[in-house]
Amino acid sequence: MEKLGVGIGWRPEIDLTVERLPGVDFVEVVAENLHVGHLPESLLLLRERGVPVLPHAVSLSLGGAEPVDAQRVAHLGALAEALDAPLVSDHVCFVRAGGLDSGHLMPLPRTRDALDVLVANVKAAQQDLPVPLALENVAALLDWPDGELTEGQFLAELVDRTDCHLLVDVANLYANARNLGTDVARFLDEIPLERLAYVHVAGGEEHQGVYHDTHAHAVRPEVLDVLAQLRSRVDPPGVLLERDDDYPADAELAGELAAIRAVLG
Amino acid sequence: MTQPQRERLAAAQAELLRALLADGEVPKGFDRERVRIEKRALLNKRRGIVAMLRPEVAAELGERFRPLFDDYARAHPKEVGTRFREDAARFAEWAAARGELQPPKKKRWWRRAT
Repeated sequence: MEKLGVGIGWRPEIDLTVERLPGVDFVEVVAENLHVGHLPESLLLLRERGVPVLPHAVSLSLGGAEPVDAQRVAHLGALAEALDAPLVSDHVCFVRAGGLDSGHLMPLPRTRDALDVLVANVKAAQQDLPVPLALENVAALLDWPDGELTEGQFLAELVDRTDCHLLVDVANLYANARNLGTDVARFLDEIPLERLAYVHVAGGEEHQGVYHDTHAHAVRPEVLDVLAQLRSRVDPPGVLLERDDDYPADAELAGELAAIRAVLG
Repeated sequence: MTQPQRERLAAAQAELLRALLADGEVPKGFDRERVRIEKRALLNKRRGIVAMLRPEVAAELGERFRPLFDDYARAHPKEVGTRFREDAARFAEWAAARGELQPPKKKRWWRRAT
C-alpha cells in the first residue's frame, strides 16, 4: 500500500485547523457531505499542497440485505476522481433495513449468510469504483446471536473473497473488546495485515460500564495501546485521527497527533 | 445467487431495526439490556443531529425538547430516503401542531431567517 503517514479527518468546522496543523500528511473527508462540483476551498488548497484527500463513505450499507445503491457508489467514485484519491472506504456494516434508516453504522451478524451478501455487494461496488476500496471494522454496542465466525475471521474471509483493503479502526476494536469481549490479539492475528490501507484512531467515553465511540472526546491511552499492539505486528501505511464534535483547541489535536506518532516510533 | 441469503438477512436486520427504532419486540437471542443501550444511543444521536440542524427549535423548547423529541422519534422512526433536515423539519411541524412550538412564520424573501 501507498505510504500515507499521519493524518486527521477534515471537517468544515476545523478546516483552518487542519490546514495549519503541523505534520498532517493526509486527510479524510466524509463522502456524503461533499458535492463533486462544489468542493470546499480548503480541500482544494490541501490538494494543491499535495496532501492526499481520501473519501470515506458512511452510507453504502454494504452489509445490508439490499443490493448496493449504484448512485451512492457513483458519487463516491466521482469524488475519488475529483480529488485524485488513491483509494476510498466505507464500513463493514448495514445502515438501512425494512424501510428504516438507523442513521448509524450497525454491526452485521457474523454468519455465512451475511458474509455471502456482503461479498456480493462489495464486488458490485468495486466494479463501479475507479480506485481500490478499503473496508472498516465498526464499533458495536450489541452483538448478534449465533455468530459462526470471529470478527477477525469474518474480515479475513471478506478480504480473501473480494480483494478489498482493510481500514482498521483501533478505537472500534477497543470498543468491541470492552463491550463485547472481542480478543484484540486474536483479531490482529486473524486479519491479513498485508492488506491494511490505514488505521483510524478516535476518542470516546465510558458511560455506565459501556464504552461509546463518540469521536467527541480525547483519545484514551487504552486505544493507543491497541495501536501499539498493531504496530508491533506491522508498520501501518497510514494512521488518521477522527474528531467529529466538541472540537478542542488546535494544540490538543496537535498533541493527539504527536501521541500517535510516538506510538508509531 | 445470493437471494436466499438476502431474504434471511433482510428479515433479521429489519427485525432488529424495528426493535431499536420503532419499539418492536427484541429479537430472539439478543441481550435485552444491550438492545436498550443501543436504542438509547441511536435516539441520542438522532436528537443531537436535529438539535444541531435546528438550534432555534431546541432553544425554544428548552427542557421540553428532549422528552418531546423522544415521543416524536418513537412514533416516527426515520425512514429510508428521509434526510436529517427533513426529519428536523417534521419534528418542528409535529411540535407546532401540538402547540408546543410557535408555528413557523411565513418566510419572506427579504427577511433573514432569525
